[in-house]
Amino acid sequence: MGKLWCGLYSRPASAIGISLVLIFVLVALLGSFIAPYSSNEQIAADARQPPSPQHWFGTDNLGRDVFSRVILGAWDILSLAGLGTLLAVFIGTAIGLVSTYRSGWLDEITMRTFDSFLAIPALLLALMLLGTLGSSRNSVLIVIVIVYTPIVARVVRSAVLSVKSRGFVEAAQLRGESQTFILVREILPSVLPALAVEAALRFSYAIFLVASLGFLGLGVQPPSPDWGLMIKEARVNVTQTPWALYFPAGAIALVVVGVNLAADGLKRHWQSPE
Amino acid sequence: MQKYNRQPGVLVAIWIIFILLLQACSQPATQPAQVQTSPGTGSTVISTESAVHPSPGRSGTLRVAMQPIVQTDPAQISSDSEVLVASHVYDYLVDVDPTSKIVPRLAKSWQISTDGLTYTFGLAEGVVFHDGSPFTAKDVVWTFNRLRDPASGFPTVDLYSNIESIAASGDLQVTFKLKQPNPFFLYDLSDNHALILKEGTTDPTKFNGTGPFIVSNYSPEDRIELKPNENYWIKDEPRLAGLQVIFFNDDTAMVAALRGGQVDLVMRLATPLFEGLKSDNNISLFSIPSNKFDVVRLRADRAPGNDPRVIQALKLATDRDVLFKLIQQGYGAVGRDSPIGPMYSAYYSDQTPIPARDVTAAKNLLVEAGYSNGLNLTLYTPDTENRPDLAVALKDQWAAAGINVDVKVEPESVYYGDNGWLEVNLGITGWGSRPYPQFYLDVMLVCDAKWNESHFCDPEFDKLAKTAGTTLDEDERIKDYQEIQRILIERGPIIVPYFSATNAAINHQFTDFHLNPFPGRTDLRTVSFSNG
Repeated sequence: MGKLWCGLYSRPASAIGISLVLIFVLVALLGSFIAPYSSNEQIAADARQPPSPQHWFGTDNLGRDVFSRVILGAWDILSLAGLGTLLAVFIGTAIGLVSTYRSGWLDEITMRTFDSFLAIPALLLALMLLGTLGSSRNSVLIVIVIVYTPIVARVVRSAVLSVKSRGFVEAAQLRGESQTFILVREILPSVLPALAVEAALRFSYAIFLVASLGFLGLGVQPPSPDWGLMIKEARVNVTQTPWALYFPAGAIALVVVGVNLAADGLKRHWQSPE
Repeated sequence: MQKYNRQPGVLVAIWIIFILLLQACSQPATQPAQVQTSPGTGSTVISTESAVHPSPGRSGTLRVAMQPIVQTDPAQISSDSEVLVASHVYDYLVDVDPTSKIVPRLAKSWQISTDGLTYTFGLAEGVVFHDGSPFTAKDVVWTFNRLRDPASGFPTVDLYSNIESIAASGDLQVTFKLKQPNPFFLYDLSDNHALILKEGTTDPTKFNGTGPFIVSNYSPEDRIELKPNENYWIKDEPRLAGLQVIFFNDDTAMVAALRGGQVDLVMRLATPLFEGLKSDNNISLFSIPSNKFDVVRLRADRAPGNDPRVIQALKLATDRDVLFKLIQQGYGAVGRDSPIGPMYSAYYSDQTPIPARDVTAAKNLLVEAGYSNGLNLTLYTPDTENRPDLAVALKDQWAAAGINVDVKVEPESVYYGDNGWLEVNLGITGWGSRPYPQFYLDVMLVCDAKWNESHFCDPEFDKLAKTAGTTLDEDERIKDYQEIQRILIERGPIIVPYFSATNAAINHQFTDFHLNPFPGRTDLRTVSFSNG
């Protein structure tokens, strides 16, 4: 683990990425201690103020502190995207492993079904699902899982295919090991690097998806300090309170860039000849 | 661990770039443009280049940014853009000016019998339709018979159900006979749909009107182009050499197009967008009071709204001044829980005081009503204009009184779809500006009103509303409306936090622009262009 850590930090790009992700995770965890105001506290007298020592990121059209809302929104978006990604990776990996290892008709059916899901653009699929499920935090979670599980399964499948016929797997089969043992102890570790990179990428896309759905008004409901929703609310006021739009937008950009740089760092680390 | 040293530098650099970017965005406006709070009175300057235009004396093409039009049959139009286009292709019999006064249009004069049942109109002479045929009283008879034909299913059937008969006497005189006296009949005749068509028109979507402009090109979903009617019956009008309505679906895009010079006029601007244009010296801004309002209403026919104490608690927990300042930014007027706003200067009354915000009193009332642990409500709102903002602001105000609100923002089509808005307990609904207030009472507050969203049913109120709507005695009506406002403040299950203003922004080269509270009824016949 230490080797991985230093390996990542030896590259400036991935160092920036990891730092950004760490900062945002800390902000998400400690948000309620950092934020000077609560997320829907409206100070009418301070409405539409530009950034100042009192309101670092200014205030929005209802007199809410944008800094507090961005800070408190970090937990919402990161936890939703994180949990969604974890579930998608877990389910996708399980399906990918079993289906590919067993092959045959089960594999055919699963993968063709997933292919048909992949044929639909992610956002369109999300909109269709939310139309059926109704908009709420749980629906967004389900949507992330449904949208990303097939992609993860696909990636795991290609990784499994490349190791399935390798000698150590065949050796385990000859030893008479159980299927679960072979999948978890022999195959899984060798697909882990690819999986970690994929998970990090999915996480950044999930953040984007949550923000997009919030922006379209289909995700969480106001007055939640969701970054996408904040951008939607601030958009019509952009000429008056541009700060209420740029700070949440900047936060989304920074966290997505951070996660991507970190994912790229992971990939390069495992691909390096050492 | 030495490699960590690189890091703070990078982060600081990111922050500096970020802050610089922000400062560039938050530069305060240096030279705010003058906001004209009444219709402009700029002088007409005819461009010296007018010789290149098709008609001397007419110059400039006004490009208006508005939502796409769908309906082109005047009997079916409803949106601002549909009404704007139709009211420049056709003419009304009588029109409403920006101060809600009835003004002549195709009808030059009228007499009303003393019993209020017979209206006789004298019509303008020398009027021709775009196809060259002359306009006569028969066209008026045909148009209104079409609008009131119960088989047509038009939205005007109800409005004109009080008409007994319509008859032409000669070419230039027409007489309407009513079943019951209707003090607002002239306003009803100026209804958006009451544009005069040619008698026997088979396809009313063909734009054959008597109006100041002739449609020269209509590309659905893109734009509609109109040229001036050279034979228009009012000399010197229109003063423009062309009118275009360019279709936009997004208000922000309209404003961007106005700033960029791709369009010249944007109406019905949301306040933040309007405020943002103040720094632009090439744009003249107009803001006029209207009677457009958002109503927050609680269903009064079932729990919790059937307890008058709950209604009182909601009213006491609301700070209307703060809502007006936050949501409307001071444009328009503070509301007094009644749809009769200050725009109706004759009818509006501030006799009954509105109790000031009193969170403790509200809490006590809720405890008395049995909600000692707080009252939980879901507040439904359409996602249009600043209604979600109002919902969020109310959530914060009411929370102080122990009223916990879950905001549910729905697309407009969902909110109004299947009459869901009439079902929910607590909702926010937007009501447009009308030239007279009786409409709101009749369709939204009397017991059997079609859209009685609050399910309000009060015999005293109903009696007053009925008298006010039928009496020919103006003093009596003023008295009734005052009583109605008192009842609504005291026990109406509605909160009207504010009335909005109608805002418009126009390229400063265009003058004599008179904005109407209903933007679609803005009369562009007198707008002129100067190249200065």
